[in-house]
Amino acid sequence: MDYTMEDTQNSAPDSLEATKLNAGAQRNDTQSVTKRLQAELMQLMLSPSPGISAFPDADGNLLSWTATITGPTETPYEGLILKLSFAFSNNYPYAPPTVLFKTPIYHPNVDFSGRICLDILRDKWSAVYNVQSVLLSLQSLLGEPNNASPLNAQAAELWDTNQEEFKRHVLARHRDLDDE
Amino acid sequence: MISTAPLTVGRRRIFGSVFSPVLLDAHPPPHPTFDRDQTPKVTPSHSHQSTEPRPDQETWNQAWHAVTAFLAVPDGGFAPIYNYRETDGSEILKQWNRLSPPAKDTAEALAFLTSSDAQNFRDDAVPWGLFSWYGDEIRRHFLTNLRTGLYELLNSPEKDGLLRKIVDCLQLARRIYLAPIVHYLLPLLATPEQGRVLTQLQRNFHTVVSYSLPWSQISPLLTAELARDALVILGIDTLTDDSSEASQDDMEVDRKYSVSYHDWRMEDSDEARAQIMTEGEDASVTMARDRLLAFLNGLQLVGLGGEKAQKVFASVMDIMMTEFVRAAYTEQWQAPTSAPQHLRQWIENVYARLAVQVLAIIHTPSTTQGASSMDVSFGDVEKWQEMGIARLGSLRTSEFFDVIVEWPASIGAVEDLRHFTTHPAARNHVTQWFIHTLNRRLLHPGASTVQILQLYISIIRAFHLLDPKGVLLDRIARPIRRYLKDRDDTVKAIVSGLLAEPPAPGEPVVSSSDTLVELAAELNKAHQNSLRNQRGELDWDDMNWAPDPVDAAPDYRKCKSSDVIDSLVSLFDSKETFVKEMQTLLADRLLQKRTDFDQEMSVLELLKVRFGDSALQACEVMLRDIFDSRRVDQVVRNDQGLSSKPRKAAKATIKQNVPEIHAKILSRFFWPEIQDQEFNVPDHIISLQQRYSAGFEALKQSRKLTWRNGLGQVTVELDLEDRVFVDEVTTWQATVIYAFQAESEPEVTKTVTDLSNQLQMTATLVRSACLFWVSKRILAESPRDTFRVLEVLPTEDEQQPGDPSGSGAPGTEGAGSSSDDAAAAAAAAAAAAAKESAEAATMEKMNLYWQFIVGMLTNQGALPLPRIVMMLKVVVPGGFPYSNEELREFLAGMVSRGKLEIVSGGNYKIVH
Repeated sequence: MDYTMEDTQNSAPDSLEATKLNAGAQRNDTQSVTKRLQAELMQLMLSPSPGISAFPDADGNLLSWTATITGPTETPYEGLILKLSFAFSNNYPYAPPTVLFKTPIYHPNVDFSGRICLDILRDKWSAVYNVQSVLLSLQSLLGEPNNASPLNAQAAELWDTNQEEFKRHVLARHRDLDDE
Repeated sequence: MISTAPLTVGRRRIFGSVFSPVLLDAHPPPHPTFDRDQTPKVTPSHSHQSTEPRPDQETWNQAWHAVTAFLAVPDGGFAPIYNYRETDGSEILKQWNRLSPPAKDTAEALAFLTSSDAQNFRDDAVPWGLFSWYGDEIRRHFLTNLRTGLYELLNSPEKDGLLRKIVDCLQLARRIYLAPIVHYLLPLLATPEQGRVLTQLQRNFHTVVSYSLPWSQISPLLTAELARDALVILGIDTLTDDSSEASQDDMEVDRKYSVSYHDWRMEDSDEARAQIMTEGEDASVTMARDRLLAFLNGLQLVGLGGEKAQKVFASVMDIMMTEFVRAAYTEQWQAPTSAPQHLRQWIENVYARLAVQVLAIIHTPSTTQGASSMDVSFGDVEKWQEMGIARLGSLRTSEFFDVIVEWPASIGAVEDLRHFTTHPAARNHVTQWFIHTLNRRLLHPGASTVQILQLYISIIRAFHLLDPKGVLLDRIARPIRRYLKDRDDTVKAIVSGLLAEPPAPGEPVVSSSDTLVELAAELNKAHQNSLRNQRGELDWDDMNWAPDPVDAAPDYRKCKSSDVIDSLVSLFDSKETFVKEMQTLLADRLLQKRTDFDQEMSVLELLKVRFGDSALQACEVMLRDIFDSRRVDQVVRNDQGLSSKPRKAAKATIKQNVPEIHAKILSRFFWPEIQDQEFNVPDHIISLQQRYSAGFEALKQSRKLTWRNGLGQVTVELDLEDRVFVDEVTTWQATVIYAFQAESEPEVTKTVTDLSNQLQMTATLVRSACLFWVSKRILAESPRDTFRVLEVLPTEDEQQPGDPSGSGAPGTEGAGSSSDDAAAAAAAAAAAAAKESAEAATMEKMNLYWQFIVGMLTNQGALPLPRIVMMLKVVVPGGFPYSNEELREFLAGMVSRGKLEIVSGGNYKIVH
């Protein structure tokens, strides 16, 4: 009993030191992430692209955003408003953000819980991508799904065979999130 | 009373056999009816109890009666005593039969009663019986005759000198009571007896006096009485009385005695200083002292002295000390200070002297034998001196704010305070009080930022002197710094102060109300100081090192708190704010048409020492731009043949309407945003600009010139019919007047709208420029917003029709005043134009915020206003500068334009 006590006491400073160091490193990380995200936001605001928009959530730490894509014309999604959530990790931009569709969407590369199969959000991620480029990719993905690796096989099949039916499914599944 | 009643009856019977009853009525029964504890054993009741009366009982009775008749005090009432109080009293003593020697038989009776025979006869108590009877007689007489009178006197509304009257009356009464005893009775007694008897009688008297006069009423009177004389004796009256100040001047020569701090300081040597206080006392002081001491003597004699009076005296002296400190040292702030020494000397020589004298008189009865024990010991004097210093400290604390305002003329006051702030409680008191004053007197919207900064500088210096460790400064600077941070124009005030022209060496630093010239001087000085390096806490060889005081705040760090510039610059969380403001100001100054910018350069160099090169890089580039452009300007002009080779030809070109053009080339990236007015410059200026641009682009490849037409100066020369006008004006003013250039027709008339369209200039700016020219009497306005050139100055007669209708001045007014009016109007119009352009800049900024708001509302759904403001504060780099109300107004505008709508709960929603 005594020994263990002593042990803890002796080891305490070290572990304390370690946490301190970690905390310091983490804070630095968070700072650089915040700075980067702030810059991205500024860029989005200064040069807005039509049909896409993103903004940090109200919690104020900038690490989670909500984005909005307006369905591109001449696609089954035309005029629909699709909301997404972005969650940035502490080592962003060296790790991709976690992006999910919040609006229920019927799409070959999106599953029913909103997960997206997009290469640049997984293994093809690079630090040069940013929120804007991700949103632009997703916007184009709406018009040109990658049917080679579908998450929603039925959708992939319908896309190829019956556009009319596909659009019906899209509209049936879509639900505006605005009035939540 | 009850037990003695039958005895009285018995005695009456005995006396009645000898004396007529009338006499008995006139005199009180010799038997003390109201004394219960002292006399039973000496009352003549013994005679009745003794079964066999002694043979000389009758003799004794007769003697007793004779003596009591002689000694009894006549019931004269209070009035005679009151009337005779001023005299020596012999009149009334005679009247009341207090001095006349006893008749022979009475004397014999006295002798008999005090003789040992009678003593043997009446056990051993007879003389005591007589004296205690007399004590009762005094009491009776006092209560029946004097008490009411005195009481009425005490309650009379006239309080001035009232106590003296009372004491005089009492003294007279005392003499009346004691005179026969002292004169005729005491000599018959043995010496030790005399003292005892007298003390006994006096005590009787004192008891009845203090019984009849309530102390609660006496003590305020005594306080007033003591205070009045003490004021004179301690010399406080000469300090406070302003009128004596003037008269003092003429009697300066013969007035040697003074307690005034000023006079004292005037003396050079210590001896002379000591003398001035101890020697050559004023007549008025001596008089007051004698008066007071005499009065106190009387007070003591009539039994109003003693411990109670001492208490009153102590409280009066306490007040006097404060009073003296206040009167002598208020606003006496010269350095080097000697107020503490002066105070110590005063206490030792004047204050203690009075205390000793007074206390020697009003001693307590118990210490009558050892009177010396009441004397003031040296330790007491020292204690008083400490108290005096503390009082001085609190005086200085209370005027500390004014001391700071007067800085540096008031260094002495801070030195005084140093004597006081020796322990944490006092230091705490000083800072608490000072912060309170600051909040009340300085940190409010009425004080300008420059004022606050100026005081802050003084505070830094004063506190540095008070407490070199800077702990106190650290404590009081916090509220100021917090407050200054909230002020928008703090940075601006500081930066413009730094850039201000420093005064020539030797001249006093006088900061005007709108710039802190002091800062520029300080910057130069501080730089010199910093050359002497400070290793601070790590200087192991520093023999003067001391630990931080115990009352330092936990997060207190030793900083070079005396460094004013550092303190001010560190007001802001980052240097960036400071540097940004510096850039804006520098930009303004650099764009002026001047030949050298030495001042700016030296300030920049000094600041670089503080901030490091990198922080001020942008400013550096700005300065270099200006110097580079001078060179580039020359080269370009040479290349393009814009410059006229010989100087004389240059004049000729101006005459030929080919203006010279010089340019300052700014690196856009490093310069702050400059408000600019866009308009079309005259055509041939444009062509010149194009040639210049071409030349520049040839010189510096891949660089481009963008002309900022709104900035710069133009020297114009106007040839009018009767005069030539030459002046340096702004570009837009020049452009406007150029538009009036006559092509053919003699009188050109243009309206503001015309000009505005022609020049692509905002209407307000056009109007401002026109009014400027009206004020120069080049243009005239009639009707409103229509201007024509005044080719010929109107004579007095023509003045009236030519008068600008806009000004509405009466026709009788002279030409000078109308041009003054016009100048004022021009200034107002220029201000309006500036405001407009500032508003335009604001709108531009608002556009950016609008993007943020759109992004926010698109993604986050409808939000209430406070939430929007909060989010903007978080996400907009550099913060969101507008208040809720301003944003609400802006959003209301957007709602009315249909871009937003307000949905349930006051939330704003974007309209898709």
